[in-house]
Formats: sequence, C-alpha cells, structure tokens
Amino acid sequence: MSTENRADVEFEPKVVAFVCNWCTYLGADLAGTNRLEYPANIRIIRLPCTGRIDFNLIIKAFEVGADAVLISGCHPGDCHYTAGNFHARRRWILFRELLDTLGIDTKRIHFSWISAAEGAKFQKFVTEIVEKTKKLGPYSEYKEILA
Amino acid sequence: MEQQLRETAKKLLTEKTVDVVIGYGRVESGQIGAIFVSNPDEVERLVWNQECRQNLVVYLTRKEVQKLGKAAIVVKGCDAKAIVVLANESQIKRDELVVIGMICNGIIEESQRTNGNPWADSNDSSNKLPIYEKCETCVEHQPKNVDIVIGDPAAANPDTLSKAERDQKGKYAKLAKLKAMTQEERFAYWKKEFSRCVKCYACRQNCPLCYCNQCVVDKNRPIRIDTSATLKGNFAWNILRAFHLAGRCVGCGACSSACPAGIDLDLLNLSLSIAAEDNFNFVSGKELGTAPLIGTFSENDREDFIR
Amino acid sequence: MSQIITLEQLKSLVDSLIKDGAKVAAPVVAENGRSFYQYLDDSSSMLLNGFNKSFNSIKEFFFPKHEVLYQFVRQENDVLLTDAVPFETSQYIFGARPCEAAALPILDPLFAWDYQDRFYQQRREKTTVISMACLESDSHCFCSAVGGSPENPNGSDVMLYDLGDGSFEVRCLTEKGKQLFNGKTNASDKTGTACSPPIKTFDIEKIQLWLKDKDHFNDPFWEEASLRCVGCGICTFVCPTCHCFDIVDEGSFKKGERVKNWDSCQSALFTLHASGHNPRSTQGQRQRQRITHKFSIYPDKFGVLLCSGCGNCSRHCSAALGVKPFLKTIEER
Repeated sequence: MSTENRADVEFEPKVVAFVCNWCTYLGADLAGTNRLEYPANIRIIRLPCTGRIDFNLIIKAFEVGADAVLISGCHPGDCHYTAGNFHARRRWILFRELLDTLGIDTKRIHFSWISAAEGAKFQKFVTEIVEKTKKLGPYSEYKEILA
Repeated sequence: MEQQLRETAKKLLTEKTVDVVIGYGRVESGQIGAIFVSNPDEVERLVWNQECRQNLVVYLTRKEVQKLGKAAIVVKGCDAKAIVVLANESQIKRDELVVIGMICNGIIEESQRTNGNPWADSNDSSNKLPIYEKCETCVEHQPKNVDIVIGDPAAANPDTLSKAERDQKGKYAKLAKLKAMTQEERFAYWKKEFSRCVKCYACRQNCPLCYCNQCVVDKNRPIRIDTSATLKGNFAWNILRAFHLAGRCVGCGACSSACPAGIDLDLLNLSLSIAAEDNFNFVSGKELGTAPLIGTFSENDREDFIR
Repeated sequence: MSQIITLEQLKSLVDSLIKDGAKVAAPVVAENGRSFYQYLDDSSSMLLNGFNKSFNSIKEFFFPKHEVLYQFVRQENDVLLTDAVPFETSQYIFGARPCEAAALPILDPLFAWDYQDRFYQQRREKTTVISMACLESDSHCFCSAVGGSPENPNGSDVMLYDLGDGSFEVRCLTEKGKQLFNGKTNASDKTGTACSPPIKTFDIEKIQLWLKDKDHFNDPFWEEASLRCVGCGICTFVCPTCHCFDIVDEGSFKKGERVKNWDSCQSALFTLHASGHNPRSTQGQRQRQRITHKFSIYPDKFGVLLCSGCGNCSRHCSAALGVKPFLKTIEER
C-alpha cells in the first residue's frame, strides 16, 4: 500500500491547543525555528495567559469538532502575570472533575507546562497527543450531540 | 417555633431594627411561598413548617426586594450558607442584615409535580415522610453564622455524619452511583436528562448565588452559548451553570428543585463540592471572611494531571 | 352501547403505528418519578393510568422548543439557503389531558392570522390527539373557571375514559379519531365518566372587567403580588398556550441555521431594547403582561381566552405563583 493511500484512510484528528503568549507559544515558535517537526493536526490559539483561558473555550473546541484539546502555559512560578497559571491550575482541578461527572472524555483534554525554552518538549508532547488521539479515534460521542 | 418566629419578627419590626422580614407564609393557593412583612401587625402571616422548601436568600440580591429597606430573613441551615457566600463575595453587607435561622430537621419531599394529588391537606405539617433527598445528608440542622436561632437546639438532629455514612444516602448515593458508571454510561445518562431541558433557566433564577446582572447566556454578540434547547446548547449551558458555581455552591438544592424537567442538576454541583473538599479542604459557606476558592490558589495545589 | 378497547389492544395499536413509521408520543415516567411526554420507541413505557400532569405540555409536539427554519452556507460570493421541510410524518399523541388538547384550538388562530405558519399548521394537520378524560383534579386545576371541563372535547380527536378494569371507553370526536379506532374497538355496555369539575375559585368575567379598566394598569397590586416572583419563566414554558418565541441565527460565519426557540415574557431580556431601555423593567410589569395577554389582549383579538385552566404554571412555580393565585387575588380586590 502506498503512503498516499494510507493518508486517505488514516484518521487525522483535530487538536486545538490553547497556549499562553509568554511561554508555550514561544516554545512552539522555538520548535519551529529549530526545525523540529511536529504534526500539523494541532491548531494553536494564542491567549495572554493560562489564567485567561475560559473553560467555555474547551467546550467550544469540542463543539466545532475538536477531537482533543491541549492547554499549556508557563511553569509554576514563571507566569508573566505572577500567578495566572496557579489560578488556572486550581480551576482545572475542579473542571476536570465536572467533565468526569458529565462523562466527557478527559483522556482528550491535556494540560502541560511548556516554557519558551522547551521547543523540544513541545514537539514531543504534541506528537504524543496526536498519536494518542489517533488511537482513540474521532470524538464521535460529543459530535453526536452536535447534530 | 412558629410563635417564637412571629414574636421575634414583631420585635424586630416594632423596634425598627429592620424594615421588612422576608419569611415563609401561606399564600393564595394554600402553598408555602415567600412573603415580605413590613407591618408588625402582620407577623401572624409568617409560618414555619416542613413545607418551607424555597431558599429565600435568592431575594436578597433582587432590586425590588432591596427597595423594601433593611431586611431580616428567615433561613434554614442550608440556606444560611448562601448568605455567607454572598457576604464573602461582597454582594450583601452582612451587618445590615438580620438572619433568623430555623432549627430544621428536614423538609418534606414536594409531590406536586409527581403523580397523585398534592397537598391533600396542606395545613398538616406533621412529619410527612419521605423528607427531601438533600436533607438526608444534612449537617446543618442547626443553622450557623446566623444572628437569631429559633427552635430548640436540643431537638435538632446531630450535625455529624461520617463520610462513609454520607455516601450511602440521598444525593451523595446518587452521585456515587453515577460515578461508578463508565464514562460512556455517564455521558449517556446526561444526554437523556438534558434532552428534557427546555432552557427556562429556572435553575439560574432560583439560585441564590446566580446574581449576575447579565448572565453570559444572555449575551448575544457574540453568542457564547447556543440559546437553542438542543443537546449541544443544553450541555454547554449546564456545564457553564455548574462551573460558575464551582467552589461557591452551598448545596441548597434550589436548582434541581425548581427544574420543571426534574433533572438532578445539583449532582454536578455536588461533585464539584466534593472535589473542593477533597483537594482544598474547602467547604463553601462555612465561615464568613474566607476568600472564594477559585479566586485564590496555593503553590502546593496538585498537578499530577499536568505534563 | 359504547365502544371499548383494552389496554393491551391500545398498546398493540401504538406499536403498529410506530411500526408503520408514525411518531407516537405519550406520557412516560422519568427516573425521578415525574411524568413527561416523549416520543415512544414502543408502547411498553406508555403511562395511561393515574393522573399524569406531565411537566411539558403537548404543545411541544406542535410548537417545539427548538425548530430550524432554514440553513445557510456561505460560498465564495454567494449564500446558499436551504428551507427546512415542515413536518411530514403522521403523529399521534396518546394520553393527553383534555385541558392541554383544548389549548390547540386556542392557538390555531394565532398561527394563521397575518402569517400562515406552516410549521405549526402542518403538525396540526398530521397529528391525532387521543385524550384521557380526567378522573381526578388537583389543587392547581381550574379548567371549569375558564370554560373547560375534565372531559372538554376541544382539540381532542378521541376521548378515552378509563374504566378501571384495564380497558377504556373510546369516544371518537373527529373523522381523524374515527379512522384511527375504526374496527379496533368492541361494543360494550360499560360507560366511563370523568371526575366532577374543579370548584370554580374565581369569576373570569369579573376579572376580565378589572383587567380592562385602564386605571388598573399601574395598580400597585402588580408589583406587590409579583414581589416573590423570581422571574424564571417556568410558567410560560410549561404552559400549553404560551407561544412566544425568539428567532436567532446559530452557527459560524461560514454556515449555520436560523432557528425558532421558545422565549418567555418573564425574562427581563424579552423586552430589552438595543438602546438599553426596557419598557417592562420590573417583574410586576412582566407578570401584568402575562395575565393581561391571557385574559384581555388575546380574547380581544381572537375572541378566546389564552388559557385552558391546566394549572401547570402554579404546579411548577417554585415561588407558589401562577395564573390561579393571581386571578384569585384580583377577584378579592
């Protein structure tokens, strides 16, 4: 089987990444300038800070057809706004609980701290997420309620 | 107890400590509803029995009610916690409010929406079982953080309940059952429940802590949450409602008790409350002066789910 | 001689209708014990005995809570519009309460005066309503006070009377009803009766006069009586005659749909102008609107009360309000 044909049949997930302006976005940028290749399945959305990522955006991403979501920002202590990521972390602990109660697949929601210097970590993590999501298949469960 | 309540209200009104007493009364239909007593001669209208289900705290943030002046409010132990949250969130001035806490051993399950004839005798306030589901796990029989306590504290059921015991009862047991399902089963459960949602937003209107001047669902440029009562819109709305109450909900149950579709909305809030307790040792509405859970953080919050 | 049908026969009728591709709705019980109308997969969950006051009225099957009007797709320099197809399958509603069925003829003129609403009309044409005469009433019922009764034939195609022995007397009221039960019933000498009508607690004509008096428009009564209203609008959503809707576009820039969703006069947003001005800025004004619309404005326009006395509004109100308590208070004035 030629690789061309395989690309036709293989499921290509859509992964939406909400990243902070100061760390992960620059980390992604560094991955690019270092020519570190990562899957094109990821759609990056840059926001000022992880503390500014509204939980509704995660739901919205699934509503527009995402198969997985990544949320990433500065390491604890490195926040450009001092504590945005600490606030975000606390919010996610609770939000994950709510999603779990609702039966929304938390295996499709990923969190990470990736600094501006961690281009390699970005590449590695994104590749991993895409591989995992490919194994999980399309998030058809949520897509069913969109019809 | 009822007499004691009336005397207290009369005293508060005649001495002009307050302008209005927000309490329960027997209204036109013979049901129990909120009444607003400003005249000391009308305190006889106040009632207290096991049908006093509504959480009156919802009125404290209403403009029309605020116009009536300085208020005293009749609350149960569960409702009293909502006052604490409102004060902690600077929505009310606690020292300008007189809180009358009732010793309460549970209110009876209302049956008007189920089959059968409701209120066969609505004047009968004897111990009609079953009690309201959320009352089974109550640890607020004695209201806390209130100014005046009505009733005999010795007659209150004990406010101690071990976790193991708690998880066997009422809403906690329901949630435990839900949590024992697989993720797919849980999703299917909520799909079934939310399919009945008509998006009346009664859950929001009846919640004492949903006090925003404009709710995010009412913003339409751009539309953040679909106004349609489709599964998509209903999921988005119910996630939003539950999470805006994360670390705030006091578990009064006003949302699910108001829901005409009978959806157990408070299970979502309960799971968040349990998570708040387990992760941050935080119980909403427990004490005055605490900062909101989500407005604060600790450097030691767990991050085992973050890479 | 009367015509009767057993529950078993009725169930197999329902199953055969579903098998033929028709949509059949009937009260079912949710996990929490409350009943509500739902489309059935088969007759096993159908609930016909007892006094079911489902939270959603049968209005939902004629005027759904959410209806797509058309879809739009943006293409390069053009927009492609696709009309939604009005309802085309036949539909049967079993176990409707007579008061809910009576709401249908009340609503008919509304959807057919300046604009012919095919979405509603088509559903009406395609639907057969099989009502159950009431065997009991509760403290919220007031059909008798607004011209109805526990066996009000208005809007129903068939009226079933529970005989209490697992069978029902069938009284066909329309051609549609006759067609449905043709040859399916057995002759019997048993006849069913409905319960006695709920006691009239107010005189509707007196109330209409009070409402027509312009001096009462700004009567302080409205604000006083509405003080405990939390403005949730449950009363309008569960009401079989409330019919306000909102038309919104949903979707993205590229594609989406124009939809019709239920709306409620009890919400502050209902009358909010873009300027920020709100002609009905208080809950009292909103309640006044609901009551006057039902008992004064609508009757003036269409000659019929916009209320069938089902009592759903007060039955579901968390603040113990609703039409009946309101009208009772007006009468006492």
